[in-house]
Amino acid sequence: MGLIENIKSFSIIENLSAEKNGLFQSFLANGFPTIKQEDWKYTSLKKIVANDFSVEGNGVTVSEEDIKKYSLGLQHKIVFCGGNLISKPSIDGVSISAFSEFESQNKDAISVLNSSLAKKGFTIKIAKNTVVENPIEILFFTSTKQDNFVQYRNNIDVGENSQIKFVERIQNLSDSKCFVNHFTQINIRKNAKVEYNKIQDNNENAILIDNMNLYQQQDSSVIVNTLIFGGAFTRNNLNFEQNGSNCDSNMNGISILDNNQFADNHTFMDHKQPHCRSNEMYKGIYLGDSKGVFNGKIMVRPDAQKIDAFQSNNNLLLSENATIDSKPQLEIYADDVKCSHGCTIGQLDDDALFYMRSRGIREKEAKAVLTYAFASEAVNNFTIAEVKKLAQKRIAEKLHVDLDFNL
Amino acid sequence: MISIKNLKAGIEDNLILKGINLEVKAGEVHAIMGPNGSGKSTLACVIAGKEDYQVQEGTIDFEGEDLLELSPEERAHIGVFLSFQYPVEIPGISVSNFIKTSINERRKAKELDPIPAPELLKMMREKMELLNIKKGYLSRNMNEGFSGGEKKRNEIFQMAMLEPKLAILDETDSGLDIDTLRIVANGVNKIKTKDNAIIVITHYQRLLDYIVPDFVHVLHNGRIIKSGSKELAHELEEKGYDWITKEADKKWA
Ligand SMILES: Nc1ncnc2c1ncn2[C@@H]1O[C@H](COP(=O)(O)OP(=O)(O)O)[C@@H](O)[C@H]1O
Ligand SMILES: [Mg+2]
Repeated sequence: MGLIENIKSFSIIENLSAEKNGLFQSFLANGFPTIKQEDWKYTSLKKIVANDFSVEGNGVTVSEEDIKKYSLGLQHKIVFCGGNLISKPSIDGVSISAFSEFESQNKDAISVLNSSLAKKGFTIKIAKNTVVENPIEILFFTSTKQDNFVQYRNNIDVGENSQIKFVERIQNLSDSKCFVNHFTQINIRKNAKVEYNKIQDNNENAILIDNMNLYQQQDSSVIVNTLIFGGAFTRNNLNFEQNGSNCDSNMNGISILDNNQFADNHTFMDHKQPHCRSNEMYKGIYLGDSKGVFNGKIMVRPDAQKIDAFQSNNNLLLSENATIDSKPQLEIYADDVKCSHGCTIGQLDDDALFYMRSRGIREKEAKAVLTYAFASEAVNNFTIAEVKKLAQKRIAEKLHVDLDFNL
Repeated sequence: MISIKNLKAGIEDNLILKGINLEVKAGEVHAIMGPNGSGKSTLACVIAGKEDYQVQEGTIDFEGEDLLELSPEERAHIGVFLSFQYPVEIPGISVSNFIKTSINERRKAKELDPIPAPELLKMMREKMELLNIKKGYLSRNMNEGFSGGEKKRNEIFQMAMLEPKLAILDETDSGLDIDTLRIVANGVNKIKTKDNAIIVITHYQRLLDYIVPDFVHVLHNGRIIKSGSKELAHELEEKGYDWITKEADKKWA
């Protein structure tokens, strides 16, 4: 049976409320998106959803060693196993609990499926004027014998003047396929500061669709870093909405893909208010037969005067079989704005390569150093030392060199 | 140290070097002069191993090794160094990280452990002093936004750090003001020992007042058309190249 049939059976056991059933029926009306839809033109789910996934399987428990292996070793950890919250830190001003209902505006099929059926995930509330110094790690572990489909639905509310940082990782511990439909919504209140790091370094059986909505109020500042190293298939929808003046929205992305890996970053930057800034930088490195997609849309609405929006997507194709489809989109309805974007697709510079080799740096290592140099502009924006180190380590590993990019 | 015999090399159908013979011994300084486009940089690049150029004939022996069989990095490991006429900018990598990587890569080739950080820093400090280089420079990106003079100084700094047996300086003097030229030349002279050798490529006599050559060669249209002592450089400065190039053109016409 395909995924849709299995989800249908699951929905019957779930005994949905009328409202949820309404949502679910609207998902069923069109099913999973296909490449006929503009937003999914380069990203096919066809093969994936043909799999006979079980739905919301629980799997085995996670060991201390697993946690250690996949954690960055940060002080605060939230750990989920099979969707159940198994440990959480206690931090003044921060309440952490399992899933609770919340509404979302997203109309796309994947999000609607999530809002109709998802019942796992976290709810985090940060009281106002709370500054949390140490970042919080959020680890989701899955481990089922059979191929499995799970949905997480998370909500974060960051109070006025509060500051917090997160590092999230979803990890499949089994050899079976795991398809995660992840949905996170963050409310950032006045003058709050949030940083969210997504470490997407799952195993080769992992499929991820990650949707994140960020709603910013005035004077708030947000950074979302997306690091894609692993996983077979990754689709990120990252949506920023500025609902007050003087907001800062920052996105940094670094992907390094090999073999048959696929990753698609869709971003949507919605400038609705004046005197705001957005800065978006995605770097993609493609090896083997990997494939990347970037689609970055900046919308500047009529009231969003005096905003400053910048977007760049730079790609390095390191193999003949690797491909990237990059599409920046600007829609500007205000006249007094600064808005720019740039997209590049290139190879390593031969002159630079010879220069390095003439200094004794072997070809493979020289290529790796140049590749890291290409990525470094984004990596240097990572404020958490452990995240930066992980990026450096994983880039070296994926380029098969034993080099320390950090001096 | 290096012995080049009947070297013919070019790009595709275009033969640029048309039979070069050159012998440089340890402890010697050779100057190669010649008009623009005569093949000086091509010769330097072929010695360093740039793969864009195809060698069609001839040999290069470097201390008993067939240089043409080695990759650029292997040539660097056995002591060949090229100071580039146009040093390449490498954004995203600092000068110190670049130099650390070069040194450690060479050490790895010799099965040595990476250089201990204090030793590296001490060495860097010494060489920076030698070349009058300011502190903040190490953390700047490799050649990025450097002035012409800074780039050339950076080349000689790398030479000082890597301590090559044979250094080829390709127009290291161009773009340098007289004070910088003096500093750079002094630096080169301090690195110079009886065991290493230098090939200085230049248009001008000026640099040769500071780095005094044992031999001067004139390269024209892919051939060394005249060799002599340092007096030859003075003569060229006074009379220009025409008097010898015309003669050579007649001979090879
Ligand atoms: N990469 C290249 N591609 C095509 N022609 C080249 C290349 N490098 C050098 N040449 C040609 O070879 C000749 C010699 O160039 P070059 O070695 O740079 O001379 P010099 O350094 O003496 O000024 C010139 O005619 C130049 O155009
Ligand atoms: Mg030249």
